[in-house]
Amino acid sequence: MKKGLPFSIAVVVLAGAFASQNPDGLEKVAEILGFAGKATNRWAIMFAYRIHFLGTTKFSAILAGICGVGIIYGLFWVCAGVFSRLAGKKSTVA
Amino acid sequence: MHIPDGFLDPKMSSGLLGAAAAILGYCLAKVMRAVTAVVPQRVLAAVGNSLGNVSMAGRRVLTKVGEEKLLQMGTVASIIFAVQMFNFPVNSGTSGHLVGGVFAAVLLGPFAGAVVLSVVLVVQSLFFADGGLMALGANIINMAVIGSFGSYYIYVGLKIQFNEAICVAIAAWFSVILAAFACAVEIGLSGTIGLRDVFAAMVKVHAVIGIAEAAITVFLIRVFRPGEPS
Repeated sequence: MKKGLPFSIAVVVLAGAFASQNPDGLEKVAEILGFAGKATNRWAIMFAYRIHFLGTTKFSAILAGICGVGIIYGLFWVCAGVFSRLAGKKSTVA
Repeated sequence: MHIPDGFLDPKMSSGLLGAAAAILGYCLAKVMRAVTAVVPQRVLAAVGNSLGNVSMAGRRVLTKVGEEKLLQMGTVASIIFAVQMFNFPVNSGTSGHLVGGVFAAVLLGPFAGAVVLSVVLVVQSLFFADGGLMALGANIINMAVIGSFGSYYIYVGLKIQFNEAICVAIAAWFSVILAAFACAVEIGLSGTIGLRDVFAAMVKVHAVIGIAEAAITVFLIRVFRPGEPS
């Protein structure tokens, strides 16, 4: 599992550079059946996996992906830290 | 397969949001029980310490194994997020991406797997606008709940007969098909498009995407599985 985070970063770098830009399965079905227009877009800080001020470059996608990995892993890391602290002296029960 | 806002009827979206919250709450409670342990605290009688333990009170604390499990969940979630970013080309101008339900459920168990996938979906929706906010419940039900639970029990059922890789591959393929099926039913019942049309189109496209899901999941489990399955 220790190689999980480096692996994630490596995949994000490859995804930023080489991921297909074609619509995914649901988007394609929506296009074919003519209801794609019903989707409502909204603002998000890293909309479409891009950092706004970096435009739609590959670097922008890679950075957005790295941020995503950081946010997700960070959430669990913070949870583990908070629960440990709440417990005071951590138990050694396995 | 992330449903954006606008595809589902508001009643359908809010109903699924409620259902997802309830299921996720139950899964979280199960995970919390797994990562913590009740440590008894000695409450000595006021009459004197010599009596020793006269009552036992306990409180839940995070165990060392629990802390490792939480960090493992974080790693699995990061891997799923990263691999989901990598859209691979499928036939006729379509792309697909990993769902990751079987990967999460086989490595962590279905409850933790559902929590992990839900966290990924929430982050994708909030920070990347990948999947709608109102449709978040539907996406959690389709990919996290059906993706983890449905396919995990297919995997467990198949394990009696087949070897690990075959079980993982079949379960992974079904996780995509079942999620696509649920997605089609939700869109069809919302009145966005005819159920029969959307069902046929979704299953057809995702039957191919499921093959890639199976191959990627087998690879990921080979690389990241810590030891023999428990």
